[in-house]
Amino acid sequence: MIPSDHFTRFYNEVFKFLEGKGEEDLNDYFLEISKNQENHILELIRTKGFEGMYQYWSVIRDEENCELDLGYDDDKFELTMHLCPSLTKAKDNDAERWDRYCDHCAGWIGPIMDKTGYHLVYDVIDRDKPQCVMRIFKDEEKAREAEVDVRLLMGWPGRKPR
Amino acid sequence: MNATPDAPLRYNEDGNVHMDFHGAANTTIEFLVERYGIAALHEIFRRVGTDVYQDMRGKLMAGDSQEVVKHWQHFFTREGADFNIEIGADEIVLTVRHCTAWHHVQQIHGAVSAQFCDQTTVVNQALAEGTPFAIDTIIDGPGSCRQIIRSRG
Repeated sequence: MIPSDHFTRFYNEVFKFLEGKGEEDLNDYFLEISKNQENHILELIRTKGFEGMYQYWSVIRDEENCELDLGYDDDKFELTMHLCPSLTKAKDNDAERWDRYCDHCAGWIGPIMDKTGYHLVYDVIDRDKPQCVMRIFKDEEKAREAEVDVRLLMGWPGRKPR
Repeated sequence: MNATPDAPLRYNEDGNVHMDFHGAANTTIEFLVERYGIAALHEIFRRVGTDVYQDMRGKLMAGDSQEVVKHWQHFFTREGADFNIEIGADEIVLTVRHCTAWHHVQQIHGAVSAQFCDQTTVVNQALAEGTPFAIDTIIDGPGSCRQIIRSRG
């Protein structure tokens, strides 16, 4: 068994393998993971909207030992990651880290937001730092406005960053 | 088989456990096998054994199998598995009667990939590759196995 604690280091090896195959292969994998994650989050979003997102990421915060803040108002849901255990483990690794490790988060979340009619603005800030800010808007125009202040905007399969 | 009981593991995680990662691992295994075949999946597991667990493999190379035992003890306990480890004169046997990883995937996905336990078999082989030890994995049934460390000499 590769312990669940070490999944991110296995994930990192998968990313490096897939990058060698090509960008399309990576995108197909992100979509497959996204489909897997639908089992955990899709119904919550469809039935409870931002509150469903809050519930999902509250579990992730606790089970994955994340240091993060969560909140939402009428317009947007916001997650501020202060210390990401996933990137931290990928970096604390005897194997080489995939330099675009952070891309996987928007890679699976973006397609789910597209599917549920929300608009994701994912600021990774710096791929070497375990911090990021994710905002999810109801209104597309507000999402586009929020992109202006982003430091490192992530794309996902079907949507390249502007 | 040297002992370093007090030294921390190279990856000494604590805190809560996110068992759904095993579901993502199962999805990943199925994706890789379907797209690239079993050999590609095994190559990735081999890299986990040789590169991610470089430190533990280094200890095996130096004749120390206790790090693997500590790793088993720590992570199977964290995941709530039903297991025990018997340390004999000629071999060390980890017996997993209820693998919580396998059963969690069965519970959330309804089915477990036929290659799910290859992660154990291949990582063990890669860990032991080029060391004075062999680590064999015997799958005894759904979610149960034995992992055996023996000196090659």
